[in-house]
Amino acid sequence: MKSIRLMGNTAVAVAMAVTPALAQVASLGSPEGQVSIVAWPGYIERGETMAEFDWVTKFEEATGCQVVIKTANTSDEMVALMNEGGFDLVTASGDASLRLVAGKRVQPVNIDLIPSWTNVDERLKNAPWHTVDGVHYGVPYQWGPNVLMYNTEVFGDTPPTSWSVVFEEQTLPDGSSNVGRVQAYDGPIHIADAAQYLMAHRPELGITSPYELNADQYAAALDLLRAQRKLVGRYWHDAFIQMDDFKNEGVVASGSWPFQVGLLKAEGFPVSSVIPEEGSTGWADTTMMHVDAPHPTCSYLWMEHTLSSNLQADLSVWFGANPVVLSACTDGSGMQTAEGCTANGLDDFEKIKFWTTPVSQCESQGECVPYYRWVSDYIGVIGGR
Amino acid sequence: MSRSAILPNRGLADRLSALFWRHPRVLLLLLITPPLLWLGVVYLGSLGALLLQSFYSIDEFSGVVVEEFTLKTYGELFRAANMDIILRTLTMSASVTLASAVIGFPVAYFAARFARGRWKAVFYLGIMLPLWSSYLVKVYAWKLILAKEGIITWAADSVGLGFLLDAVLALPGVGGNSLSTSFIGTWIVFVYVWLPYMILPMQASLERVPVSMLEASSDLGATLGQTFRTVILPLAMPGVIAGSIFTFSLTMGDYIIPQIVGTSARFIGQAVYQLQGTAGNIPLAAAFAVVPILIMLVYLSLAKRGGAFDAL
Amino acid sequence: MTNAVTFQNVSRHYGKVKAVDAVDLSIAEGSFFAMLGPSGSGKTTCLRLISGFEKPTAGEIRIFGRDVSDTPPNRRNVNTVFQDYALFPHMNVRDNVAYGPMVAGVGKAERYIKAEEMLALVKLDGYGDRKPGQLSGGQRQRVALARALVNEPRVLLLDEPLGALDLKLREAMQDELKALQKRLGITFVFVTHDQHEALSMADQLAVFNEGKIAQIGSPSEVYDRPATPFVADFVGSSNVLPPSLTAQLGGAAAWASLRPEAIRLVAKGKGKMNGTVAALRYLGAGSRVSVMVGETEIAALVPAGDAAPKAGAEVGITFETSALHVMAES
Repeated sequence: MKSIRLMGNTAVAVAMAVTPALAQVASLGSPEGQVSIVAWPGYIERGETMAEFDWVTKFEEATGCQVVIKTANTSDEMVALMNEGGFDLVTASGDASLRLVAGKRVQPVNIDLIPSWTNVDERLKNAPWHTVDGVHYGVPYQWGPNVLMYNTEVFGDTPPTSWSVVFEEQTLPDGSSNVGRVQAYDGPIHIADAAQYLMAHRPELGITSPYELNADQYAAALDLLRAQRKLVGRYWHDAFIQMDDFKNEGVVASGSWPFQVGLLKAEGFPVSSVIPEEGSTGWADTTMMHVDAPHPTCSYLWMEHTLSSNLQADLSVWFGANPVVLSACTDGSGMQTAEGCTANGLDDFEKIKFWTTPVSQCESQGECVPYYRWVSDYIGVIGGR
Repeated sequence: MSRSAILPNRGLADRLSALFWRHPRVLLLLLITPPLLWLGVVYLGSLGALLLQSFYSIDEFSGVVVEEFTLKTYGELFRAANMDIILRTLTMSASVTLASAVIGFPVAYFAARFARGRWKAVFYLGIMLPLWSSYLVKVYAWKLILAKEGIITWAADSVGLGFLLDAVLALPGVGGNSLSTSFIGTWIVFVYVWLPYMILPMQASLERVPVSMLEASSDLGATLGQTFRTVILPLAMPGVIAGSIFTFSLTMGDYIIPQIVGTSARFIGQAVYQLQGTAGNIPLAAAFAVVPILIMLVYLSLAKRGGAFDAL
Repeated sequence: MTNAVTFQNVSRHYGKVKAVDAVDLSIAEGSFFAMLGPSGSGKTTCLRLISGFEKPTAGEIRIFGRDVSDTPPNRRNVNTVFQDYALFPHMNVRDNVAYGPMVAGVGKAERYIKAEEMLALVKLDGYGDRKPGQLSGGQRQRVALARALVNEPRVLLLDEPLGALDLKLREAMQDELKALQKRLGITFVFVTHDQHEALSMADQLAVFNEGKIAQIGSPSEVYDRPATPFVADFVGSSNVLPPSLTAQLGGAAAWASLRPEAIRLVAKGKGKMNGTVAALRYLGAGSRVSVMVGETEIAALVPAGDAAPKAGAEVGITFETSALHVMAES
C-alpha cells in the first residue's frame, strides 16, 4: 500500500509540477567505499561484455569506491527501485526524471562539487528534464535520437527522407507495398512521434510540442496511428527483437535507436538510418542522486567521473549515443570520432524532441492530454480501435 | 522380570511427542498456523488490497488516484478498447485450453493406460523436459521458428505447401504478415508452453479410472466412441477441468508471450502491467486484474453445474 | 445338450508366463459353472477369454458354437459382473443399470422401465436415484448384477462377485444367485477361490492349477474323488497320503486322499496306524486335530461332544477303507 500511495503522490506532484526544495551536499567527505547505481543495461560496463569497454575498473582503483550496478529495463522499474531506496544513483530518462524530482526521490546536485560540469554541452546544462526552477537534479549522461532505420537493399539509391514511410501506405523503391514491412515503437510515447509528424504535415493543428497535445491534436495523432496499425505487423518493444525482426520478419523500415543500427551494421546486415525531415524524438538520460543516498561522496566522485571525455567517448561508441561532453568526439581520449558523433546524431540536437512525460497542465497550452490517457488509448490503437 | 512397563522419558522430544499425543489439536494448530497466516494475510490480504484499489478511480485531469468508492473504473472496462482486450484474452484462453485438451488427451491417455516402467519414465521426461528450460528461451525460439523467414515457412515452401500457409495467414482476424506476427502464432506458442499443465492432471485422473470400468462399458455393448463419451470423458473430467484451470488462467495472466509473438494487440496481463507501471492507473489495472478472477469463478461454477466434479 | 462355451486347446501366454495353458473345456447351456483355483491359477484369465477382454494366443473359443476369435467384447452376448463391480460412479443406479440399453440406442422411457424391472429382480426397487457411492457393498453387488442382466445375456460371467462381502451376506447372496440362475435359466460362469462357495453353488466345476484344469466334474465328484493331490488339498482340505503310506494302509502304491471327517481317533494301537497329536484347532462344531504320522501330517475332524485328545498325546487313527481315494499320479 505504501508504494501505491507513493505512486499516487508522484502523480499528484507531476501534475502540479511541485518543486520541492531539498538540501544538497555542501562539501565532500572521504569516500565511503561503495556506490550503487540503477542503470539501463549496457550503460555501465566494466569490461565483462567486451574487454575494451570498461569505464569502471579504473574508477574503483582511483577512488576506492566499489561500483554496484542494478540494471532496470524500463523507466517504471527505475522509478520503482528508487522508491524502494537503498541506491545512490540512477540513469534516468526524461520520462522518469521529472517523476523522480516531483516524488522527492532525488536530491539537488551541487555542481560546484563537480569540476567537469563546465565541460558539459551547453545545450544540456539547463535541460528541463533535470533542471527545475533553476535547480539541477542531476548530471547529463548521454543522449540519442530515435532514428528511422531502413534496409539499404530495399531503398537502394533513394533512402527515405520522411517518416511517411512508416505512417502512410505507399510503394517502396523495391516495388512492393510497405504493408506488413514497417514497425513502430510499442510504447505510448510513440504518440509523440505521430504528433511530430503532424507538426510538419498539418500545421493547422497548431502543435508546438509533441508532448503537449490538446484534445483535437491528440485525436489527430491517434487517427494517424490507427492508419499506421494497418501497416504494422508487430510493434517493437525490445531492441534485440527488433533486430531479429529486421533479419527474419522482412521488416524494412522502422523508428529505432542508433544502438540497433550499429549492431546490425556490425553484423554486416544492410541497414542504415536517417533523421527524417520532420525531425525526431529522442532520449536524454541524467545521472540523478537518491535523496537518502547512503554513499554521497562516492556518488559525487562517480558523477564527476561520468563527465570524463574518455568515458563519454567509449560509452557513445558502445551504446550508439551522443556524449554530453563535446570534446569526447574529437579529443581522441576514447574510441569516438567526429564522424561517429555525426552518425549518432550529434548535430541534430535541435531536430530532436526529447522524451518527457505528458502532463495535463502543460506549459504551451494550459491543458493537455495526460500520460495515463496516452497509455490506455495507445493500447486501444494497437488493439485495432 | 525387572523390565518396566513404561519406558523412561528421554527428554524434550519425548515430552513433546507425549504432549501432541494427549492434545492432537496442539500439533494441528502448530502445523497449520503459519500456512494459514500466509494464506490469510499475505495472499488474501493482497487480493483484498487489489479489490480495494479497483473501487478507486483516477482523476481525469490530474491523473491522481482518488481514494473514494466508485464503480467508475469498472465502467471503464466496458469501453470498446478495453472490452476488446478482455474478449481477446478470453477467446485466446478458451481456444488454447480447448486445443491443449484435444492434443493432450491422447498423450495423457496413452501414458495412463499403456505406458509402463521405462516408457512411463520416458513419458514424464518428455512432458516435463520443456518445463525445465527457461520460459523465455522457449518463447524466443518459437519466435524464430514462426518467423516469416523461419523454418515453418521454409518447410512449407519446400514441400510446395506455401499456399496453405498463405491461406492460413490470410484468415481475417487471426492471420497476419507471418505466423510470428499473428494471433495464430501467439496461440501456437501458448499451446506449446501450457500443454504440460493440461496433460499431467489429465493423466493423473485417467490413471484413477479403473480398467474394469472401461471393460464394463464394452461388456455392456458400448463401442469405443460410446465408452469414451459416456465413461472415460466424464471420469477424466476432474483432470480436464484441473488442467483447463491451469491453461486457462495461465493464458489469461500471461504478458510475455503476446509481447514477443503476435500482433502487439494487448492481452489482460499486458494491460495490467502497462497500466500499473507506466500509466500509474492502479485502479484500472486492478479492475483488469479482477476480470480473470471473475471469469475463473464463472467458469468453475459452470463446470460444477455441468457435473464436471460429480466423479470426484 | 448344447454347449454354451467351449475351449479347444486354448492358451493365453504373456511372454514366458503361461496364464492359461492348452485348456479344453465345455460349459453346458443353462448350467451353473464354477471355476475354482488359487490366485494366479488362470481361472480369471479364462473368464476374460470368454468375455473377450483377453485374446487367446492359441486355440479356439466358441460361444454357442460360434467361433469368437474376431468378435470384440461389445458384440458378444455375454455379460460380466466384475470383482470390483465396476459401477460407473458418475451415474446413478438407474443409469448404471440402463447403460446397456442406452448404448444400444433404446429410448429413455423404455430403458428406464427395463432398469426398474432389473432392480426389482435384485430387490433394489426404489434405489434408482442413488449414486453407487451411497450404497453398501451388498447393494452394489446387486446393482452390478442387475446391470449385467439387463441385456439378457446368454452367458453371465461372475468374477469373484462375493469376495468383498462379509460371511453372512455372502451366504445369503449365494442362495440368491443360485435361485436367480434357476429362475432365468441363463448359463452362469462363476470364478472363485472359495471352495465352499464353488461346491455349494455349482452344477459343474473346474479346478485350475498353474494355467491348467486339474479336474472338471460335479461338486461331489471333485470332492469325493479328487483327481490329483492338488485338488484333494485345495477343494476338500483333504489329507493327501504319499504312495508309501497308502501302500502301508492296504491300498495301491499311489497318492491317495483321505477326508478329515472320515477319520476317527481311537486309543493308541487300536487303529490302522498311530501318531502324535501336534496341534488342535477349535472350530465350534468340532475340532480339527493334526496328527503326525511319521513325517506326514494327517488332519482329523472330531465332532463336538466327543472327547478331543490333548497335544502331545499318542493316538490311533482309523477309517473305513472305502474312504481312502486313490488318485491319478500328479
